[in-house]
Amino acid sequence: MKRTEILISGFGGQGVVRLGQIFSTAAVYEGLYTTMLVSHGTETRGGYVRSQIVIAGQPIDSPVVENPDYFCAMSKSAYTKFMSLVTAGTILYDPGYVEPERNPIARHVAIPARDRVVQELGKDIFANSFFLGVLGQYFKTAIHKEHFYQALSERVAKFQAENRQAFDFGYSYQEGADA
Amino acid sequence: MDYLAEKFLKARKIPSTACSGCGLGQVHKKVLLAIDDLGLESADIVWGTGIGCAGRQTFNTWKGDNFAGTHGRVYALATGLRLALKPEQKMILTVGDGDAFGIGLLHLLHAVRRNVDMTVIVADNFGYQSTGGQYGYTTPSGAVTDSSPYGMHDPNWVQDGRDILDILKSAGAGFLARHTSVEGHNAVESIKQAIRYKGFSLVHIIYPCVTNFFGKALGSRKPVDAYRWLKARTNPKQQDIQGITFTTGIYYQSTSERQEFSEQLRGFTERVQKRCQS
Amino acid sequence: MKRLFDTGNAAITEAAIFAGCKLFAGYPITPATEIAENMSRRLPQVGGFYVQAEDELAALHICIGGSLGGLKAMTSTSGPGYILFADPYGWALGSEIPVVVVNAQRVGPVSGITGAPGQGEFYLSRYPTHGGNFESIVLAPNSVQEAFQLTVEAFYLAERFRMPITVLADQIVTDGWETLLIPETEAEIQAMGLKVALRQINYGPEFYPATDEIDVPPVVLGHNTGAACSDWTPTAEGFDTEEVEWQHKHAYRLIYKVRNNRSIISQYEEFALEDEPDVIFVAYGSPSRVVKSAVQAAREQGLKVGGIRLVSIWPFPDEVFHRSAKYLSVELNYDGQLVREVQRAVPKGSEVHFLGRCGELPKVLELVEAARTLINGQPLKAIKWEREAW
Repeated sequence: MKRTEILISGFGGQGVVRLGQIFSTAAVYEGLYTTMLVSHGTETRGGYVRSQIVIAGQPIDSPVVENPDYFCAMSKSAYTKFMSLVTAGTILYDPGYVEPERNPIARHVAIPARDRVVQELGKDIFANSFFLGVLGQYFKTAIHKEHFYQALSERVAKFQAENRQAFDFGYSYQEGADA
Repeated sequence: MDYLAEKFLKARKIPSTACSGCGLGQVHKKVLLAIDDLGLESADIVWGTGIGCAGRQTFNTWKGDNFAGTHGRVYALATGLRLALKPEQKMILTVGDGDAFGIGLLHLLHAVRRNVDMTVIVADNFGYQSTGGQYGYTTPSGAVTDSSPYGMHDPNWVQDGRDILDILKSAGAGFLARHTSVEGHNAVESIKQAIRYKGFSLVHIIYPCVTNFFGKALGSRKPVDAYRWLKARTNPKQQDIQGITFTTGIYYQSTSERQEFSEQLRGFTERVQKRCQS
Repeated sequence: MKRLFDTGNAAITEAAIFAGCKLFAGYPITPATEIAENMSRRLPQVGGFYVQAEDELAALHICIGGSLGGLKAMTSTSGPGYILFADPYGWALGSEIPVVVVNAQRVGPVSGITGAPGQGEFYLSRYPTHGGNFESIVLAPNSVQEAFQLTVEAFYLAERFRMPITVLADQIVTDGWETLLIPETEAEIQAMGLKVALRQINYGPEFYPATDEIDVPPVVLGHNTGAACSDWTPTAEGFDTEEVEWQHKHAYRLIYKVRNNRSIISQYEEFALEDEPDVIFVAYGSPSRVVKSAVQAAREQGLKVGGIRLVSIWPFPDEVFHRSAKYLSVELNYDGQLVREVQRAVPKGSEVHFLGRCGELPKVLELVEAARTLINGQPLKAIKWEREAW
């Protein structure tokens, strides 16, 4: 697999880091190489959390996400801050938080994660698993679905069934989408 | 000292290089007497020292194993070492007043808090004498030293209602005693009890520095004057003595057993290992 | 092979356990706290001890105390704690006691920014204590996997050289998540090149022999060997001495046991240096990852660019800087530290330049542009007040 960059950003408490961890762990189970940089410290207090993920079929040199292939924008401030990094990639934004720019350069796809999980599962905390499902769909040829389930059960302590459901909702939401 | 020296000390270190008239030898001898009385051998004790007169003069005198820490840190070294030694092996640290009650006080307090099995002998000569005679934390109030030319004005740890041993007691020390080097059997008995105590113990022993402290504070370098001064203030019976006085004897002895640091950690580790295996 | 996705902090913990570490004393500090936390969980499982120290002075002293009794020991910290190690670090260097010290560099000076990467202790790790008369050994991982391998290596070197070894990491390496392979079989251990040295005991009478040889067993207390170790200049038997002759022997030993055995320590990586490149990047730690990507990107654009990545940074591997070229040191600081050593080591006629960032990694794009600028003979674009030429 060629080097692929993913940027995930939202505010503290949305499970941005957990989402990155589960995605990356699934990639590792698949036998891929993965790096993830997490920005924390002042940034967590300053309104956004960021995970920079790189996956590839061979060891990864720079772990810096410079040209994201996918940017999961889970909050308004995250969208505003990192949108301009995306030139050739796709911005997956949650319309529950983000109002996209008019005439954007990058491809935008609305992922109504918050509304769907609130509607289906009654809590917005499963939105990250919905996003995970969406990414799972995009990466379905590179990473087997089973590895996502395995990573989910490995990395999630509470509400395993709900998180798995949220993943499934996300996975089928973008059915047919492909990397 | 000959019998004790031959039995317990490295020949290379005898005689010591202390100034003539120094009282440190008296302190050292009392510790060896206590060890002899307890029937301990060189293999039974690992000896640590600090910096300053007390540390340097006693370093590597012990026939068994020796170590010396940098200034004030020997308590932390001893804390780590305790985890590696056999529980029945004793650790004796001979240190100075600046080492224990100044630069090393934080580590000393934490060794007390953890109840690390060690016996600290604080050989107190009223300040920093190996650097020429500056005041410390036990220097009598008003005493003239090289850094208190108008008389010691800095509050010390031993007068005006303060007592460093009281702080150590509050921190959890199980055995504390105070003596002066001019005392005999009673001081040896206290040291014996301290060594026997399983946990942190400390004996504070005041000894005269003839060369620097008394030379300046009393204006005399005659050992006889220094010893007379100290003897007059050695106060085992808690008499009413004017000015600074040293109430000697056992200061505090715990009646309840507190678990010792390395025993506690070993037990903890064993329990975790068992839990992981099952 | 155990295949994990975890942090450098976790890798360092598992490496210490692998290497036989039985004591960790530490003080919490971002971004190395997780090592302490992980050790508090892992050590009791393998019969070891975790001690939370009252400060970093105590942390390293407790580790050294344990090592003095024969326990392999490690502590970890970041810059503000590493500076407090100066006292015990010197003690362990002088009395030749094995111990491993991890420094996850963050942004300084002083408390600076806690959760962001810096490289401010390049020289401090060379001179982690006062007094001179010693060489230091410092290893600098640039990935989670290498954090594992170099920590194992640090334990190995600590025993053979009987001295403290610093693993100089940075926040990207310790906090970053990455694929981590942990070997389980003997064949996997060998394939990864991992070596473990068991603790030997020095039975005397010469505890400090006047020699540059390594593999001299260290002092271990509690065996009634009559050993002595201290902060003083020792005679061969460990007696404190003020004789200059002994001081000379002691200093010779501390300096030359390292200098004369550098081949065991020295590790570096070279990227695309075969065709005498015009520009050679130099880096250690996490910036070297970006450098490697930048070399590849520059080559794809037809620029003759290579790179040197230092794995061991002290003793400094002068021998790798034998080519005349335009060197560009890429570091996570604005003052330029590695660049000074590069300047000293390169052949006459070479140019040495500096590109500093702090708190975040530079971008591949920036490095390629910097290389192009240097190839064109132009000065590097200064960001505000930076010195452009070195």
